[in-house]
Amino acid sequence: MTEAIEYLQFVLAPQMLNGLTIGVAVVLVALGLSIIFGLLDVVNMAHGEFYALGAFVSMSLYGLGVSFWLALVLVPLIVLPIGYLIERGLIQRVYQHDQRHVLTLLLTVGLSIIMEDAFHLIYGPNTMRPENPLPGSTEILGVIVPNYRLFLLAVGAATIVATWLVIYRTRLGAMIRAAAFDKHMTASLGVPVLRVYAGTFAFGVALAGFAGVLLAPIYSVFPTMGHDFVLLAFTAVIVGGIGSFYGAVIAGLLLAQIQAISSLYISPHWSDPLLFAIMVAVLVVRPQGLFNWMGRS
Amino acid sequence: MTGKLKKVGAVLSMLLPMAAGPAAAQSSNPITIGVLTPLSGTYAPIGQQVKWGTELAVNEINAAGGILGRPIRLIYEDEEANPSVATRKAEKLFQSDKVDFLTGVVNSGATIAVGQVAERNDRLMATTVSLSDAITGARCSPNVFRVNAPGGMQALGLAAWIKQNNPKARVFAIGPDYEMGRNTVDGFVKQAKELGLNVVGQVFAPLGEKDYTPYFGQIRQARPDVLYTSTAGNDTVRLFTQLQEYGLRERLTIVGASVAVTAQNIGAIGAAAEGFVTVAGYSPDIDTPENKKFVADFRKAYNADPDLYGADSYGLIYLYKAAVEKAGTTETAKLRKTLEGFTWQTPQGPKSIRAGDHQAIMTVYVLEVRNGRFTIKEKIDGQTAIGPDTCERF
Repeated sequence: MTEAIEYLQFVLAPQMLNGLTIGVAVVLVALGLSIIFGLLDVVNMAHGEFYALGAFVSMSLYGLGVSFWLALVLVPLIVLPIGYLIERGLIQRVYQHDQRHVLTLLLTVGLSIIMEDAFHLIYGPNTMRPENPLPGSTEILGVIVPNYRLFLLAVGAATIVATWLVIYRTRLGAMIRAAAFDKHMTASLGVPVLRVYAGTFAFGVALAGFAGVLLAPIYSVFPTMGHDFVLLAFTAVIVGGIGSFYGAVIAGLLLAQIQAISSLYISPHWSDPLLFAIMVAVLVVRPQGLFNWMGRS
Repeated sequence: MTGKLKKVGAVLSMLLPMAAGPAAAQSSNPITIGVLTPLSGTYAPIGQQVKWGTELAVNEINAAGGILGRPIRLIYEDEEANPSVATRKAEKLFQSDKVDFLTGVVNSGATIAVGQVAERNDRLMATTVSLSDAITGARCSPNVFRVNAPGGMQALGLAAWIKQNNPKARVFAIGPDYEMGRNTVDGFVKQAKELGLNVVGQVFAPLGEKDYTPYFGQIRQARPDVLYTSTAGNDTVRLFTQLQEYGLRERLTIVGASVAVTAQNIGAIGAAAEGFVTVAGYSPDIDTPENKKFVADFRKAYNADPDLYGADSYGLIYLYKAAVEKAGTTETAKLRKTLEGFTWQTPQGPKSIRAGDHQAIMTVYVLEVRNGRFTIKEKIDGQTAIGPDTCERF
C-alpha cells in the first residue's frame, strides 16, 4: 500500500502534473487556432509563426529593458494590430473567392514560410532563452513543482476562462458568433462584419503571441519554434471538433495526458505517432470531432 | 681579394632570386584547411572551442614561418550539427575552395558522412570532437583520423569508476537520439553490464530537445542512483537545470561523456554541474610546462579556458604540420602513410595514431567537477583505455 502511494507521489503525480502544464500550453495555442477556424472558417497555417512572433517580440522587449511582467501585457497588444492588418490586407482579399479554403490555406502557408525566414534573418539561427522570471520550486503534497510551471498553469487556466467569457458572455462575443453563423443577416443588423472578422483573427493570433511569451522561459526561442506546438494544437482542434471551444480545451488536456502517461513506457518523442494515430482514428470514425455536440459557436 | 669577393657576390646575387623564387611562389600559395564546425545551434558552444583551438595553433605556426614555408589559411563553414548540411558544405570546401585538409566536424553522423565525401575527393580529414566508436570502428575510413578520445574509451573508465565507488548502484542512461547518442549509450551500457553493474533503463531524446521533463517519468520509475548522459552543448544545460527544478538532481550522481559538461556550458549549468564525473582526454589542470603555456596563451587570446575540444583541435594542427613536414608534401597517399603510427607532441602529452584504425592513442583522465572546475581524480594510460582495433576496411 505505501508502495502504491509512493509510486503515485513520486512517479505518476509529477508526470501527470507535467502533462497538465503541457496540456495548458497546447490549449493556449489551440484556442486561437480554433477561434479562427470556427468563426472565420480559415485554416491559419501561420498560427505557429504568430506564436513565435510573440516570443521574438518579447526577446526584443527584454533587450530594451522591459520586464517579463510588462512584456506579458505588451506583446499581445503589439501582435494584435499586426494580425488585424494581415487579415484586412491579405486574407480578406481572397475571402470572397469560391476557392476560399484552398486560397486561405496557401496564403497562410506562404505567410508562415516568410515569417520563419524573417525570424532567421533578424534574430539569427541560435536558440535564445529568456531568464526564468520565477525560479525555484514548491513542494505540494510531496510533489516538487517548479514555480514557473505553477504560474503557467494559473495564467493558462485564467486565459482560457477569460476567452470563454468574452465569446459566450459578452455582446462582442455574440456579434462574433452571429457574424460566423450568418454574415448577411448580421450585416443587415448593422454589425460591421468585415471589421469583426479582422478583429477575431487579430484576437486569435494575439492569443498565440501571448502563449509565445508565456512559454519562452521553458521552451526557448528559435526560428523554427512555430512547428513545435502547432502540430499538437492542430491535433487537439481536430480531435476536439473543428471550431468547438470546449472540444479544443478538453482534447488538448486529454492528449497531453495520454502523452505524459505513455511516456512512462515509451520514449516521449515516440508518443507523437500515438497522438497522430488517435487523430487519424477520430477523422475516420467521427470526422466532426469527439466533442462537437457540446456546443458549436 | 676584393675582386674575388665581388665575383662571388655577383654569382650569389644571380643565384639568390632563383633560390628565393620557388620559396616565394610557395608562400604566396598557402595550405588551406577547411574548418567545418557548428557555428550556430545547440552545438555552437563546441564549435567555438574548435575554432579557438584551431586558430591559436595556426597563428603560432604562421608566425613561425608556416608549414614547409607555406602559411596556413583557414576557411570556415557552419556544420549546423546536421549531416546533410555538412556533406554539402564539405563538397563545397573540397571542390571550389580546394582545401588540402578538413577538420572541425562535430556531429558523429556528419563525420561519417563527410568521411565519404573526403574519400571521393581523395583528401584527408580529421575530427577532434566526434565520439561515436563507429568512426574508427565499424564505419572507419582510410581518409578519416580521430585525435580525441572516443565514447568507448570513456565508457570503460566511467563504468570502472562507478564499480569502484558504488558497485550496487542502479544506473540509468540518457543520450541524444542520433549516431553519437545511440553509440555512446550502447557502449556505456555494454561496459557497465560487463562489469556487473545494474543498468535499469535507457532513453533517447532528440538532438536539441527543449523540454526534458516528459523523460523524467521513466527516470523516476527506474529509481536510479547514477545517471549517465551523453547530451552535449545547450542540451545538457536544459537537462541539468530541469532535473534540479524538479528536485531530482540531488538524488542522482551524474556521470557522462566528455561532451556533456565542458568549459563552454559549465557556467550556464551552474551549481547543478557540481559532482559531475566524466572521462576525458584533457583538463586545463594537467601539470606540464607545455600545457601551462597552452592554457596561458589560450586565455590571453580568448579570455576563456580551453576545454578538451580546444586542446584536441589545437593538437591536430601540430599533427598536420609535423606529418606534412616529415612527408615533405600534402599529397594524400604519402601523408596518410606518414600519419599511420605517427607520434607527436601536444599540450596533453604525446599522442600517436594507431595505423589499424586511425584512432589516436592518448592518456585519459577521470575528472570531477568541484567548485565549477574539472579536477583530475585518476589517470588512465592510453594503451589500457583504447580497446581493440575493430576497423576492417584497411
